[in-house]
Amino acid sequence: MEEDIVDYTLEYARSKNVEYAEARAQNQIQERLLLRSGILETYASAIDSGFCVRVIANGGIGFASTNKWTKEEAKEIADLAFKYAKAANRKDKIKFAEEKGIETKWTVNQKEKIENVSPEEKISKFVEINKSLTSCGVNIAATISSCSTDLTSKYYVNSEGSRISSFVPKIAAFVFITVAEQGKTEQAYEQFGYSGGWEAFQEWNATEKMIHNAKVLKDVITKGKAVKPGTMDLICGSEVTGIAAHESCGHPMEADRILGREMSQAGRSFIFKGGPYWIGTKIGSDVVTVVDDPTIEHSYGYYAYDDEGVKARRRFLYKNGLINEFLHNRESAAKLGTKSNASSRSVNYDREAIVRMANTFVLSGKMSEEEIIEGVKNGIYMKSFTEWNIDDKRFNQRYVGREAYLIENGELKHPVARPVIETTTPKFWTAVDAVSKNIKFDAATCGKGDPGQGIPVYTGGPCIRLRGVYIK
Amino acid sequence: MSDVLSKTEEIVKKTKALGADEVIARTTFGRYRQARFSNNQMDITVAWNDYVTDVNLAWKKRVVATQIHNFQEVDASIKKLFELAKVSKENPMFGGFAKGNFKYTKSNADKKLQGLEDPSEYVSEAIGAAEKEVGSQIDSGGILFTKFEDVYLVSSEGPAGVDSRSAIEFSIRAFSEREASGHSVECSSTLKDFKPSRAGSKAGEIAKLAKNPKVGEEGVYDVIYDPLIFGSLLGVWGSMVSAFNILIQMSVFINKLGQKVAPENVTLKDNPSAYSMANRIFDDEGVPTKENVFIDHGVLKKYLHNTSTAKLFKTETTANAGLIAPNAWSIEMDSGDMRREELFKQVKRGLYLTNTWYTRFQNYAKGDFSTIPRDGIFLIENGEIKQSLKDLRISDNASSLLGNIAGISKERQHVHWWGEADPPSLSPYVLIKDVHMTKSK
Repeated sequence: MEEDIVDYTLEYARSKNVEYAEARAQNQIQERLLLRSGILETYASAIDSGFCVRVIANGGIGFASTNKWTKEEAKEIADLAFKYAKAANRKDKIKFAEEKGIETKWTVNQKEKIENVSPEEKISKFVEINKSLTSCGVNIAATISSCSTDLTSKYYVNSEGSRISSFVPKIAAFVFITVAEQGKTEQAYEQFGYSGGWEAFQEWNATEKMIHNAKVLKDVITKGKAVKPGTMDLICGSEVTGIAAHESCGHPMEADRILGREMSQAGRSFIFKGGPYWIGTKIGSDVVTVVDDPTIEHSYGYYAYDDEGVKARRRFLYKNGLINEFLHNRESAAKLGTKSNASSRSVNYDREAIVRMANTFVLSGKMSEEEIIEGVKNGIYMKSFTEWNIDDKRFNQRYVGREAYLIENGELKHPVARPVIETTTPKFWTAVDAVSKNIKFDAATCGKGDPGQGIPVYTGGPCIRLRGVYIK
Repeated sequence: MSDVLSKTEEIVKKTKALGADEVIARTTFGRYRQARFSNNQMDITVAWNDYVTDVNLAWKKRVVATQIHNFQEVDASIKKLFELAKVSKENPMFGGFAKGNFKYTKSNADKKLQGLEDPSEYVSEAIGAAEKEVGSQIDSGGILFTKFEDVYLVSSEGPAGVDSRSAIEFSIRAFSEREASGHSVECSSTLKDFKPSRAGSKAGEIAKLAKNPKVGEEGVYDVIYDPLIFGSLLGVWGSMVSAFNILIQMSVFINKLGQKVAPENVTLKDNPSAYSMANRIFDDEGVPTKENVFIDHGVLKKYLHNTSTAKLFKTETTANAGLIAPNAWSIEMDSGDMRREELFKQVKRGLYLTNTWYTRFQNYAKGDFSTIPRDGIFLIENGEIKQSLKDLRISDNASSLLGNIAGISKERQHVHWWGEADPPSLSPYVLIKDVHMTKSK
């Protein structure tokens, strides 16, 4: 990475009549492999490298990027960004919330360096997963598996004196299976993600997880019974708790949505000024606290400083059932009269940094999972989900169970085929009366932005119990 | 131009000289511009320039790929790539890259799009058109996006060509009240006849109609799909005719070639022709693109292929490569025989849906999915819009919806929106019978 060109870009941009300027460079050494039913389709390796400049001038924002590392190109993109910012001609001028300049370097350590793992080893790992899957006693009709490794170096400078360098290795995998039994099919996928080195594979237990998924799908086909629709208790496993935390807490608490900046794509939020929900409003029961925390070491959504150079910290989004703190970048924070809480992230040098989650999860409680189950007379334990979605104001959501069981008088019974909860955000979180001690995380790719910026996150939490919800 | 083509050719020659069996190099000089606005004001204008050569190499049926961003780094990059091929694993299904010397039609890319630097006038014009419908309380957001790509492709197997690809897309969501909105798009490959005010007016009209929505009721409805939301369904079916998705069980069309999958009036094709935002004269193997009718009068006629999947299915490539997975480029539905108004008259009690998002499947092979309509949702009674609704979800099946198409309009619109109505399509108003709608309880 040619830091002198990035510095030059900033200085050139500053020489114009700007209120603020920053330059950000990213160098990403990528490897990707894709297998279909155990056969390697392709192995791709590339280095993606480029830089961008963002300026505020006359209260407007301009952004431009290039992957051509020359000073001429640097001038061209800075000129364009300046021109665009001026042309915005906004009535209400954009400002950034105040931050002090920071000079620092941060990295994520690897126990087993990704650079030292050969392509053969990477390929064989996934061939092995496929072999184990196809010999586990379940008829697997097809699998797709992929693995990606990224060694990402960033260099960030701004007109307020920040100069931040970072290096983050990431490894991610995805496995999708189709089980065919008795002339019927069921499908499941699992995503894995980690900030760090190849040691990720020891932590993931990917083979065991996928074999478990295959057996679950077989059970759904051969033993699963439909649920009798009605009002009952629901226990959500950590995977379901996690997706609900992400979709119906993390997203609606993004301040750019609340302010309308994402209105035509990812949408707005049921939380808005002058509406029924705002900071301090009750949204869930007292036992519900949902946080977003980028500082969990080696998590998929880990970072020490965000892409505006703000130091990362834990954010309490819903706290003891109350709406507590929005996710902010410097632009949204200024508009709402507060400080950024380091939620500004970008997937690459050619995308603007926008408000994003990192690792969103429900904080643990005091009960064991067994105690939580014992307290249910009639209900469903939805351990994992398949289809899910939520409306663009983040109010009406639906989760369809993948691995789910009937609970009768505190005991798990037979598998339940595709139970569905379709409910609103306040109904979901208000129904929670118990939260387990143990927390688990799942890797996910959160979608937002136009052009799309799929960003690494964790979702997760304990298992939680909802009383008296409608299941069909 | 010829300089870039010869440099691309040189990459192929050098890679072959290292011992590769087959090589394709594709250099793209991309120039992309986007203006984003919300609350009726410009939030940010973005420019990104991208210079990249994609190299795909096959050696003893091992397929590897890389990207080169700097012509100075060619030697080191291809050497590394060839080393990667040597330690990679054989793909017995690899059927080679397309062979032949092809003649291509002339690209009709609009050079004016290359020079368009300040799109703010288009944005103001469209917001103004929406405001005429909604009034001064309008709150609108959206994007204006332009693309101009020069693409140089050289294959060791014969194909070599140069393509220029241009596109312009405008998308606007207008709110008349907090929970009353309309969304519309204007998409084209050229500036000629590009009228973002059309999108502004339509978004405004829908937003005005959508005022005072009531929570809708669960049930089974006859539904009129607006071209924008129908574009999302076309994208689902277009993805499911990719031969790769057949192989990995992500399709409802497995083992259905030659079978009736839709009513007689349904003809669907893939066609990346000049008008389309996804215009291209050759695919990623250098095969000249063409119109591919995949559902002809209700019968599934073909899957979309690259050379490798075509060999597996004992047929010819349809020029839809993607080197790993063939893709639909731009989908068209043949127009029907009714005007939009006549289509509405067919509905005694039903819904008119205008947009959707968050489409997710339980099982692609079975086709069970749900998606959440957004923007205008309207109750139709006796052919007329009676009430604006909200908070409904389509919970149905991709095969059933295709099978239940009951009417298609003469009018069609070129639509593309974000990740939902993708790839671009030429989409009519469509009446689908017996659509299952659910809601939160």
